[in-house]
Amino acid sequence: MNPLLNANNLHVKVKNGGEILRGLNLVLNPGEFHVIMGPNGSGKTTLGLTIMGHPNYEITEGKLLFEGEEINELPPDERARRGIFMAFQSPEEIEGVKILDYLRLLLEKVKGVDRLKSHDMVMEKAKEVWFTEKELARDINVGFSGGERKRFEILQALLLDPKLVILDEPDSGVDVDSLSLISLKLHEMQKEGKTILLITHYGRILQHVDPSRVQVHIIKEGKIVMHGREKLVKEIEEKGFKKVFEECGCNE
Amino acid sequence: MSDLTVQDAKSIIEEQIETLKKRNKEPEWVTELRYKGLKAFFEAPHNDPVIKDPLDYIAKAEEEMYPEVKSLDELPPEMLALLDRLGIAEVEKKYIAGLAVQSDTSIVLNDFLKEWRKKGLIMESMEDAVRNHPYMKDLFMRQFNPYESKMAAYHTAVWNGGVFLHVDPGLKVPMPLHLFFLIQNSAMAQAPHIIIDAREGSEVHLIEGCTSPVLVRHSLHLDMSEVYVGKNANVKLSVLQNWPEYVHTRPMTRAIIEENGEFINTTVGLGTGRSNIANPKYIVKEGGYVELNGIILGQKDYYVDLGGEMDLEGQGARGMNASKSVIMDKSTVITRGLIRAKAPKTKGHISCDALILNPEAKMETYPGLASEVDDAELSHEAAIGKIREEELFYLMAHGLKEEEATQLIVKGFVNPLLKDIPLEFVIEIRKIIEMAVSGGM
Repeated sequence: MNPLLNANNLHVKVKNGGEILRGLNLVLNPGEFHVIMGPNGSGKTTLGLTIMGHPNYEITEGKLLFEGEEINELPPDERARRGIFMAFQSPEEIEGVKILDYLRLLLEKVKGVDRLKSHDMVMEKAKEVWFTEKELARDINVGFSGGERKRFEILQALLLDPKLVILDEPDSGVDVDSLSLISLKLHEMQKEGKTILLITHYGRILQHVDPSRVQVHIIKEGKIVMHGREKLVKEIEEKGFKKVFEECGCNE
Repeated sequence: MSDLTVQDAKSIIEEQIETLKKRNKEPEWVTELRYKGLKAFFEAPHNDPVIKDPLDYIAKAEEEMYPEVKSLDELPPEMLALLDRLGIAEVEKKYIAGLAVQSDTSIVLNDFLKEWRKKGLIMESMEDAVRNHPYMKDLFMRQFNPYESKMAAYHTAVWNGGVFLHVDPGLKVPMPLHLFFLIQNSAMAQAPHIIIDAREGSEVHLIEGCTSPVLVRHSLHLDMSEVYVGKNANVKLSVLQNWPEYVHTRPMTRAIIEENGEFINTTVGLGTGRSNIANPKYIVKEGGYVELNGIILGQKDYYVDLGGEMDLEGQGARGMNASKSVIMDKSTVITRGLIRAKAPKTKGHISCDALILNPEAKMETYPGLASEVDDAELSHEAAIGKIREEELFYLMAHGLKEEEATQLIVKGFVNPLLKDIPLEFVIEIRKIIEMAVSGGM
């Protein structure tokens, strides 16, 4: 069986800038839970955006395979339709576009849901992540708190039902209750068989996740330099990247 | 240069005036005004960046009259089809609100309007109004002077069609009135004259749909609106323009807003025609408020220039000029606004936002603020830009195609200015935007 996602010797350059990913290898099999950690500027977000197909990130070498097919040149909407989803670290504000209208449009255009059913589907899933009917009349991300923004990303994942869920720091700037809810939703998504790629700095987001399932990868200067299990997260939280890199000889 | 000599033009216009006079059996003062307009046409200044010679737009009158229509059922099938396309037929079915359809000089009223006539709401064709009400003399062409421009003069000479809307003091009309101009008898210039006379404490919302596809031969449209907002009255005038591409439009609007009156003027230029130049002017008395909301969809190589002058003459008067332009293809959109604070504690704000969807599209904005007092609050803001890449990526990453994402962003961009437009029309407007965006991509 093909891995769900296979990043093979990935070199990525940012438009008008330098190389950020320098030969990164990563294999995600269906149903696995992967955590990516690394210091600021190491390439974590770039990895997420590259998988999603951001036009500013160019793959100069290597291959990105999804379900065995190369997707290096595929536009982002095609990737989304194939089952790749990304929960953004700083989601965009889109003025004048009501959440309810937007989510129904997503269901109709991306999932082919009947217009008569899309309303109820949105309402049902919205409730799961604490959005009230009144809040759905607001504009996309405009005036949202940190927790609301991150919960709104999760809501889109619930509706689109992707195969691969990439989450870029879903725990940054979030209140404790929202964090716990997001963690719970991650656990549920994994139980449903979705593959998770979680970019984070902290272990707290893993509170509801089965630790034995978690695989951790540490990224440094555009390459994965360490692999481990859940306790590696704790080690990094305690010692910091600098010390851990010294101990593993990753600085050489 | 036109093939017409000045003498030719003079005799053509004279002939038109005589035809209108006879056809409308109009009072003498109206005909006198027409001749004043004719005289002014040759003396008034002309300053138009697109129409270099107005004589080009003077055509010989042809004898071509459509039968008068008395009810909506009698409309020619092509006009019914048009109403249907605009969603008007649906609106009419669902709501008993006032729908009047004007085809040339006759006006078709529905039951709602007939019923409300008894309460003090008058909606009739301008030809009827000038015959029926002697006080029209104090309202008609009182806010314009034919000598101010050749366009104003030409309108004064040959105006035909248009509507008179009168609301008795204190009368509040609960639903928007819909007026649709479907102009078919097009031998003469299209020059409807509209007067809204909202008396003290009254409330009314008029939605004007100007559309005249395929049926029209004339390529110059010169409508003129005079709005009188009485003390404490609340008037909304929403104009939906959807012109075919061979039409040049020069809408002329003036309004006087009396003490504590409120006037919300929304203009949605979906199909702007080849060129559309407007500079509405508003005079605001003590405590009054005026708002001009302009939505402009610039397409092809069309030229759109939306101004808006507000004179805040009374203490505490306020003015707001907001425009949102979506500029595609090779179109040029200019927005300007001028707010003059002439009394203490007045407030004015101009905002111009534009989304440019094509590198060849052009946008210019010239906000103007002038204060004659030291305690006025005047401000302006402008933002011109492309659709942000990150915004587009966010939507595409969630599965929307580039076209779908762009449509969504554009609809969201104009949405705040559609707040006073009934939902049925907003839905239609959104459809038109979607089509335009797809066509422009």
